[in-house]
Amino acid sequence: MKIGIPNPFTFTSRQKTAAEVAEELQFHIDMLEGKFTQSGMPAPQEKAAAVKRFGDLDNIKNQCVNINRRNSLLRRMLKTFTIVLAFTGLSIIILASDYKVTRIGTMLILISLFGRLLLHARGCVGSVFPPRTRERSLSVINDTPKYT
Amino acid sequence: MANDRTDLMQGTLELLILNTLARESMHGYGIVQRIHETTEDLLKVEDGSLYPALYRMEERGLIKSEWGVSENNRRAKFYKLTRTGQRKLEAERANWNRISKAVSKILQAT
Repeated sequence: MKIGIPNPFTFTSRQKTAAEVAEELQFHIDMLEGKFTQSGMPAPQEKAAAVKRFGDLDNIKNQCVNINRRNSLLRRMLKTFTIVLAFTGLSIIILASDYKVTRIGTMLILISLFGRLLLHARGCVGSVFPPRTRERSLSVINDTPKYT
Repeated sequence: MANDRTDLMQGTLELLILNTLARESMHGYGIVQRIHETTEDLLKVEDGSLYPALYRMEERGLIKSEWGVSENNRRAKFYKLTRTGQRKLEAERANWNRISKAVSKILQAT
């Protein structure tokens, strides 16, 4: 029976991503807190106000980590695929004696090179897999703004 | 008094972020502040919701991020526009102008 052992590199990488996202979000909350302090808000209230204004921290953090991981995982998979394709093509060229078969190898190498070029041109992955957008995050205020 | 809010059409936040970053690289907090200042608090960006949008834009290669030092000497992640993002901004600007012109014409006609 195969036992599922978590990849330590994946685990570390996810932890690192999560830590960086947490640091980034915490910076924003701290800046908000500073702003509220400057505006004269009493000390015990400023932290709570900053956290409230920021929104659901855990949910936002998870979303960011998942997007970041999805991005790097997809890129890694595509990179690996192009490398495998190139090696297969090279092996065919070396081992095959028939001209027609070696042409298949050449085609595979060309496809892998094209794939690498696509990956290099940033944004190509995003256009192939368009993001799901939810835009409740921006609104026009039709009244006096109130930010706490 | 409670604020009466109108949600904006999809893609607007992305356009605002791209436009804000066209001038200089900024951290998330700076982007929100800049949008609030420029629109004199008429537009409200939900602070936390900005980040998934930024990460998605980075995933699509419109912006890229790097860690730097903020104005108060803290480590912060700064975002800047990529060439793809610059092209997207130009396209989205043109698109926005077309839509707003079209809607204005309809409103004036009635």
